[in-house]
Amino acid sequence: MGVKIVPRHGDSLKEKLYLLAIVGGLKVTFSHFMKNLKDTSNIETICYPEEQPKDITSRYRGVHRLTKREDDSVRCVACFMCATACPAECIFIEAVEREDGVDEKMPSKFSIDLLECVFCGGCVEACPCDAIRMDTGIFSFVKKNREDFVLDRDTLLSHKPMKGSN
Amino acid sequence: MNSTLVSIVIFNIVMALIVSLVFVPVLVWMERRVAGFMQDRLGPNRCNIAGVRLGGLVQSFADMLKLVFKEDYRAGAVKEKMLFTLSPVIVFATAYLSFMAIPFADDLVIDDKSYIMQALPMEFGMLWILAFAGLGIYGLMLGGWASNNKYSLLGGIRAAAQVVSYEAVMGLSIVSMLIVYGSIHMGDMVRFQGNLVWGFIPAWGIIVQPVAAILFIITAFAETNRAPFDIAEGESEIVGGFHTEYSAMRFGLFFVGEYIAMGVASALIVTLFLGGYQIPWLNTEVLKNNITTIFAVLIVTIPILSYMFAGWIKKNNVWLDKNDARNRETKWLITGIVIINIIIILFLGIFLLFGIGENGVNISVAALQVMTFVVKLLMMNFFFIWVRWTLARFRYDQLQNLAWKVLLPIAIANVFITGTFVVMLGV
Repeated sequence: MGVKIVPRHGDSLKEKLYLLAIVGGLKVTFSHFMKNLKDTSNIETICYPEEQPKDITSRYRGVHRLTKREDDSVRCVACFMCATACPAECIFIEAVEREDGVDEKMPSKFSIDLLECVFCGGCVEACPCDAIRMDTGIFSFVKKNREDFVLDRDTLLSHKPMKGSN
Repeated sequence: MNSTLVSIVIFNIVMALIVSLVFVPVLVWMERRVAGFMQDRLGPNRCNIAGVRLGGLVQSFADMLKLVFKEDYRAGAVKEKMLFTLSPVIVFATAYLSFMAIPFADDLVIDDKSYIMQALPMEFGMLWILAFAGLGIYGLMLGGWASNNKYSLLGGIRAAAQVVSYEAVMGLSIVSMLIVYGSIHMGDMVRFQGNLVWGFIPAWGIIVQPVAAILFIITAFAETNRAPFDIAEGESEIVGGFHTEYSAMRFGLFFVGEYIAMGVASALIVTLFLGGYQIPWLNTEVLKNNITTIFAVLIVTIPILSYMFAGWIKKNNVWLDKNDARNRETKWLITGIVIINIIIILFLGIFLLFGIGENGVNISVAALQVMTFVVKLLMMNFFFIWVRWTLARFRYDQLQNLAWKVLLPIAIANVFITGTFVVMLGV
C-alpha cells in the first residue's frame, strides 16, 4: 500500500553500451547547430548595444520621470510624500509657491540621485497626484562622473514614457 | 639536392605548419562558434579589423595577441623554475612533432622519381607517432609538479593516470590495425584504404576494423585530455588542473599544444580509419586516369557551391547598425569569392584545353588529395568539438573503469580475433 516501485535504468545491454545514447545526444546538438548555421536569426541572442531588448514589460521600474498636467506644467505639488517614503533618501525637493493659480505649490528643485536609488518604486506608490512614475523603461544609465547621476527637475520632466505603457 | 626535392620538402613542412599551427586559431574559433550554435548562442562575432570579421575568426587573433602581451607571472612558491618553463614547451613540441609523420598525399612521382608527401619523409611513421604521443604527457606531469600547488599536482597526477590507462588500449587498437595493414608506414596504410571491399565499399579502416576504430577514437579523446575525459583540467574540482599556476604565453603554449594535439589525434584517426587523403572510390590510379573528367566536374561544381556559399553569407553576415564598417564585409567577401572562382576556372580551363604533362597530372592529383585530407581533418576536428559540447565529463572512477574493465578486454579480444582471421585467410 502506497509503495511506488521506481524502475531502475541502466541494466539492459542497450543502455550499457552507452554509444547509442551518445549518438542520440550528438543528434540533438547537431540539429541545433544546423538550425542556427542555416539562419543565424534563429538565435535568440540580442546584439545588445545595436539591438535593444524588446521584452521590457510595462511594469518594469526604470529611471523615474515627472509627469505633466494638460497644460504641460509640472504635476508635482511638492508635498514631500515621495521623499518621506524613500528608503534610500535619494529624493531632494525644494518647494516654491505656485504663481499661476493652477495649484498652491510646485517644486523649484526636484532631484533624484540614481546612485543612491534602489528602484523600489516607493515614491511612485506614495505620490498622491500621480506626479512621479517609473515607466520610462530606461534600464541603462552611464555617466562620466558622480554629479551627473543626480537627475534634476528638467531632466526628469523630459523623460518620455515607454511605448506600450500609459 | 635538386630543386624539385627542395620544393617538395618545403611544401610538406609548410603544410605541416599550416595544419598544426595555423589551424589553432581556426580551431579555437570553430570551438567557440560551434559551441555557441549548439547552445543556441552566437559566439564571438564582434571583433573586426576595418570591418572584416570573417565570422568571428579575428577574435582568435585578438586572444592570442592578448596572451602574448600579458604579464608572465610566476608565483614565488615555484622552485623548479626550469621544469616550470620547460613543461609547456614539451607539450607544444611533442604535439607539433607528431604531425611530421602524417601523409598529406600519395607519393608524388616527378620525372620518374618518387617523393614521400610527409613533413619528414620516413617509413616508420607509426612508431614516431607512438613515441611522441607518450612523451606529451611528461609536459603535463612536470607542469603539475613544478607548480608547487596541490591543485596543479592533482591535475598532473590525473592526467598521468588517465593517459597511462588509455595508452594501453590505444596501443592495442593500433596493433590490430597494424595486423590488417601489415605495415608501419603511414603511406602504405592509406594506400591500402584506397582499395575496395567486395568491389564496392572503400576499404577504410573504420569499415575493415570498426571495433578498433571506436576504441581508437575513444582513447584519442582521452589522450588529448578533451571532454568527456578532461578531468585533468576539471575546473569544477581542481581550479585549472595542471595549468592553474600558468599565465600569459606559458599558458598559451599549453593551450596551443592542446589544440595541436587535437589536430594530431584527428589526423591520426583520418589516416588510420577514414582513408587519409583518399577520395572514396577514387584512388590515385583512378584519379590519374580520369583527371580531365574531374577537372570538368570541378569547373561545374565549384561555381555552384560558391554561389550557395555567397547566398549564405548575404543572408547571415549582417550587422544591425547600417553605417557600421562591418556591413561592408559581405561585399568584399563575395568579390573575393568571385575572383577566386574566376582564377580557378581559368586555370582548370587552360589545363583542360591544352592538357598537362604527366608531372602536371601527378601534381594536380596530389593537390586534390591534400585538399581532401584537409577537409577530412577539419571534419574530424569538428567531431571532436561536437562531442565536447554534447557529453558531460566522466567521473574519475568511471574513467578508470571504462579503460581497464571495458575497453582493454575488448581491445585484447579484437587483437586475437583479427590475428586469427588474418592467419586463417592467409592474407
